[in-house]
Amino acid sequence: MKRWWRGTFGLVAAVAVGFALATLVIGAVAFETTHEALELQLDHRIAIETQALIDEGQDGHEGVAAAIRRREAASSTASLGYRLVDAQNRPVAGSLDATVPSKPGYVELLPYKANGEERIAQSLTTALPGGYRLLVGADRAAIDEMDNRFILLFLGAFGAMLLLGIGAAWLVGIVTRRRLARIDHTAAAIIAGDLSRRVPLTGSGDEFDGVATTLNRMLDRIAGLMENLRQVSSDVAHDLRTPLTRLQNCLDEALRERNPELQREAIEAAASEAGELLEVFSALLRIAEVEGLAARAHFQTVDLSAVVADVAEAFRPSMESSGHQLVTSIAPGLTMPGDRRLLQQMLTNLLDNAAQHTPQGTTVSIALESTRNGIRLAVSDNGPGVGEMEAPELFKRFARADRSRSTPGHGLGLAMVAAIVAAHSGRATIDSRPGFGVHAEF
Amino acid sequence: MRILIVEDDADTSQFIARGLAELGHQVVTSGDGRDGLFHATDGGFDAMVVDRMLPGLDGLALVKALRAAGNMTPVLMLTAVSGIVDRVEGLEGGADDYLVKPFAFTELAARLHALGRRPSAAAEPARLTAGDIVLDLHRRTVTRAGHKIALQPREFTLLAELMRNPGRIMTRTMLLERVWDFDFDPKTNIVETHLSRLRSKLNAGFDSDPIETVRGAGYLIKDGG
Repeated sequence: MKRWWRGTFGLVAAVAVGFALATLVIGAVAFETTHEALELQLDHRIAIETQALIDEGQDGHEGVAAAIRRREAASSTASLGYRLVDAQNRPVAGSLDATVPSKPGYVELLPYKANGEERIAQSLTTALPGGYRLLVGADRAAIDEMDNRFILLFLGAFGAMLLLGIGAAWLVGIVTRRRLARIDHTAAAIIAGDLSRRVPLTGSGDEFDGVATTLNRMLDRIAGLMENLRQVSSDVAHDLRTPLTRLQNCLDEALRERNPELQREAIEAAASEAGELLEVFSALLRIAEVEGLAARAHFQTVDLSAVVADVAEAFRPSMESSGHQLVTSIAPGLTMPGDRRLLQQMLTNLLDNAAQHTPQGTTVSIALESTRNGIRLAVSDNGPGVGEMEAPELFKRFARADRSRSTPGHGLGLAMVAAIVAAHSGRATIDSRPGFGVHAEF
Repeated sequence: MRILIVEDDADTSQFIARGLAELGHQVVTSGDGRDGLFHATDGGFDAMVVDRMLPGLDGLALVKALRAAGNMTPVLMLTAVSGIVDRVEGLEGGADDYLVKPFAFTELAARLHALGRRPSAAAEPARLTAGDIVLDLHRRTVTRAGHKIALQPREFTLLAELMRNPGRIMTRTMLLERVWDFDFDPKTNIVETHLSRLRSKLNAGFDSDPIETVRGAGYLIKDGG
């Protein structure tokens, strides 16, 4: 794994480290701010105390020294210490055991001794008249202790974040890998040939289940298509066997026949069988081409009303001479995007069916109307119809109603109709009671 | 006619060439697109049969190149696929007619003959005559020996299509394409019933039938009379 950080573990770990670093930065800022505030507070206290001492000792260093003594005697100033020195650095008052800085002003880290112990004080040196200098100091122990606690707290938080993050990364990594492994196993099984395998669901309805459900639906669809393909190829093989056998019989007969006239007849019969076979093939190819939707690229606005009227008129003489009645009800001016020739063929196949599979005296009606959702075309007859169970099957290739087995045809006409309607984003249904009717809605 | 066949399948090429030679045509064959284009531009052909799929240069590109060079030799294109889209592309690409394999030889021969002497649309006369029949394309009237004959619109178009090609066979599929604009063959005998109605209207009161049925091939209207 070259780019390990692209994996789940890497991603979660990176986020955890990011959070830990953010904690560190927030800690540093909080530390700095608190520390500064505490120091300012201390400085302020020292300044007030210094001013109070100077105010109390109005008459100069003697007064200040007296004030210091009073305070120390009262021992009410545990955290504050004082020292007053003269120009020669000799102590005048105050017990703060530290060297008074020569220059007035704040000194942040002034070492001093208390009970024989080295300590650090925050201090303010103030010059008094006569070369005296007053030092007021406060122990920094409180600030230091605060600082230490703060640092400890944040280091602890940082460590905890880091540990938690890495732990979470590890866990998420394991869970993700385990769930993905199931999908992976399923895919591997399918590659190995077990097409019935599906990704197992946990039932939790989480994202993994969502992906698994979609994958399973995709697999079902592919399986359906493959089953369809298998069915079609076995149908093709089955339905072509009969005409191929007849072709072979005709040729056999031609070979055996001595009479040239009868021989010629047999050859003509063979040629006609071959022609019929080729017709079936081109019908199958045409259906496949329409189902492939390549024709959609050439769709143009088609005047469906005109197409329907034209085809109906083309059929009228033949229908009438075969004893059928053709009744049309065509709403004018209905247009849709499509392929005119395919729409002509759709209608032709429906009228061919009506003319071939209904007895004399049957009325065939064509109705084209505009509906709320689009255009509706119905070609129906009042003939004997087909069984209710057969109806939905008739859109499949080579499907033939029981009643029509004796009439010529290959059961491809309605399959072509279904393919053409689907190519035009329409829906075709068979209405088998009464008579026979096909409804197409675009 | 001098006819050029550009087809890579030797069997098909030979089948067409032999048939056309039997009909008395001079035939040149080529099995390659580039070679075919070379022959075609060399000129002197009355018609060409070009396969859609060819090695070297495919049939569509060949026709496009030919037309771009100003060569207007009529082209009949052949295709092995079912050809809903191919047909449109072929005709848009400059082919004059289109035939889907497999085909009957009579179909190919009839189409080639119709192509060979097809006048351009602009040069078409307003009146067509065949024997004693006169058809006026502008006024849409038909007379036979001076007698007016009333025809339905499709019957008129059907007769006009036959009269544009006097003495030449028009096959069922050619008529379906040109009269009804169908590029498929209905099971119902549309052409036959229309022709029989046209015949009965044309022949009412006459002894001779000007339309001849050529068994297994198609129909033709007799030239002259």
